[in-house]
Amino acid sequence: MRSVAVALAVARKDLTSEWRTRELVPALAQFVVLALVIANFGFQFDSRTAPAIAPGVLWMTLVFAGLVAFGRAFAAEREQASLEAMLLTPASPAAIFAGKALAAALLLVLCEAVLLPALALFFNVPLSFDVVSPVLLATVGMAVLGCLFAAMVARVRARELLLPLLTLPLWIPFIVIGGQAVQVAMGAGTGGTGSATSLLIDLDILFVVLTSLVARFVLDD
Amino acid sequence: MSAIVAASLTQRFGSEVALDAVDLTVDTGEHLAVLGENGAGKTTLLRIIATAARPTSGSLAIFGLDALGERRRLRASIGYVAHASGLYPALSAAENLEFFCTLQGVDRGRVGEVLDLVGLGEVARRPAGKLSRGAQQRLAIGRAVLHDPRLLVLDEPDASLDSGAADLLARVMRDRTAVIATHDHALANRLCPRTMELRHGRVVGVPTRLRVVH
Repeated sequence: MRSVAVALAVARKDLTSEWRTRELVPALAQFVVLALVIANFGFQFDSRTAPAIAPGVLWMTLVFAGLVAFGRAFAAEREQASLEAMLLTPASPAAIFAGKALAAALLLVLCEAVLLPALALFFNVPLSFDVVSPVLLATVGMAVLGCLFAAMVARVRARELLLPLLTLPLWIPFIVIGGQAVQVAMGAGTGGTGSATSLLIDLDILFVVLTSLVARFVLDD
Repeated sequence: MSAIVAASLTQRFGSEVALDAVDLTVDTGEHLAVLGENGAGKTTLLRIIATAARPTSGSLAIFGLDALGERRRLRASIGYVAHASGLYPALSAAENLEFFCTLQGVDRGRVGEVLDLVGLGEVARRPAGKLSRGAQQRLAIGRAVLHDPRLLVLDEPDASLDSGAADLLARVMRDRTAVIATHDHALANRLCPRTMELRHGRVVGVPTRLRVVH
């Protein structure tokens, strides 16, 4: 129970700081809209090809927005020297990590709240529960992995370069499975989204457990 | 009983030796000042005692526990003020302390008490980022004593503090074991019955009572 309280306190602290400073979310929202505008002009598409192109644009935008959001999660703590203050308490490093990942995931969900309707508008594709659910499920796994590597590289000078190099290979399963599910939901692929949903849930559980186990070594040692 | 027993503490950063076989014993309730020039190894020694860093070699026991193996257990008994304040600038002074109450497992009722102790009761709702440097340092000191630690490790806590620094530090160090790094010999003499000097990572002479001739 104490770990849950710590994780919630860390997430609340991060979200409160973001709400008051508005450093990340407005910039990310602006970024996703600009990415969609560029894709809108960059790709030649019509109503028949849009459902095939839109999922690719969605996941590319999400990946880059995620890298920025998760990178900032620990870079700011290092800059303020506040991560050490947190770690020098008896609180579990796994709980601290979970709180950071939760806040970063929620910030990315906020960006998705801009990205998904904008995508539907620009590409004239349907926005349904079957489109939103794989994106939200992938966000969980991407957040824990992104935050783990962000914590790992936060003290390194070339962190902006290292974070994508470490994170992207492990995000590929989420992008492939989530991408196919979104394509199907938008009417460009065949089959159902049920198996993709259960696969994404399995991956989320796997990576949440794994990252919780290694968080202590990444943060505290 | 000894609060801190360190034997042959050595810290290397690549080829550079920051601490070279430092032996140290501090009794429970004792106040020790660590003196030395910049780069002498004061911060490295204090970070190891505060369990923020692991030494390359040597042993360290704090309150009878192995400080390298029982770090998390010991952290409930240690308060640390580092060089950087480590505060959240967007959160108010009170919110900063409330957050650390949750992490320390301490009742939030302690926040008002600590703010009064460090003289920040009137600016409790002001964002930490908008406090003066001295007030931020007071808040960092308040955070270090929030959980009523038995051992206080203070790395140049007088930096940025005004003339009331010595009184504030004396208040927070009372009834606790304390290790304080400072350049201010007069402050060390006032707060600590015993001092030790580091030079190039080594203890110079025998830890002794400092005398300042005015």
